[in-house]
Amino acid sequence: MMTETPTAFELTFQPNVELISIVRRFLSDFYERMIEDHDTVSRIALATHELLENAVKYASDGATFLSVKFEPGEASSTVSIRLMNRAKPEHIAAVATIFGEMSLHDDPFGHYQIAMARSAKRKVGSGLGLVRVRAEGEMTMSHTIEDDRVTILAQTTVTARRRG
Amino acid sequence: MSAASDLSVALRDFSANVRAEGRSLVLRLSGNADMAAKDSLDTLLPRVHAEAQRISATEVQVDFRNLEFMNSSCFKSFVTWISEIGDLERSKEYKIRLLSNPEMHWQRRSLHALRCFAVDLISVES
Repeated sequence: MMTETPTAFELTFQPNVELISIVRRFLSDFYERMIEDHDTVSRIALATHELLENAVKYASDGATFLSVKFEPGEASSTVSIRLMNRAKPEHIAAVATIFGEMSLHDDPFGHYQIAMARSAKRKVGSGLGLVRVRAEGEMTMSHTIEDDRVTILAQTTVTARRRG
Repeated sequence: MSAASDLSVALRDFSANVRAEGRSLVLRLSGNADMAAKDSLDTLLPRVHAEAQRISATEVQVDFRNLEFMNSSCFKSFVTWISEIGDLERSKEYKIRLLSNPEMHWQRRSLHALRCFAVDLISVES
């Protein structure tokens, strides 16, 4: 069944990419107790993994803050994944570029296919992480930049279970 | 040039191996394809591609059924491989059949995205 109470999970993360998969597995277990739809849990896990990797790779001081919130509503519930880290100017610019592209492509899957074609020829990095979160994770994405702090918010809605 | 049986990866949390079946290759993946697997996949997939060309393979099956997860960096390795097949002369192209596990929910979207990337080359089975 789906929980009817708000639930939150927060983690301050030091750079260790090996731990990201452990966090993904933990979150999957955590949310499988609250959300009955395994596909939704899988989308949340994928998005969290990609956002964490992105943040850990580019955190300039090594610290990443992760927050995952589940907010139940009458008709639908919202899952919010928020990642915050400090980053160097070139990485902040790269994030801004990706979000700029997203704003130009209303169709997340179409944008994903374009990014894949470009990624195929890249020698460094994939350029796919955030685009994949939006397309495969079916997340609404936004970001804010304050000085050297980058915050990325990914949200998705989960249909509430009918009562009675 | 590698024989199929020489193509394998064994990491703590990820493994891959290749076997030949006639003029097909079967690449079996298992575990967790995250950052720790990226370099190994980047080395392995071009060797699988070379072996497929060496034996004039008609098909490579990629068995994802025991793959718990694949991150975007490893996903990109597959995108590059598929792109390189698409760059071959038509007569040298081979097909890729992706075997998926419906219980690994991420696979439905990820493998669908790969199929759409090269719809003439890729098929997905569950």
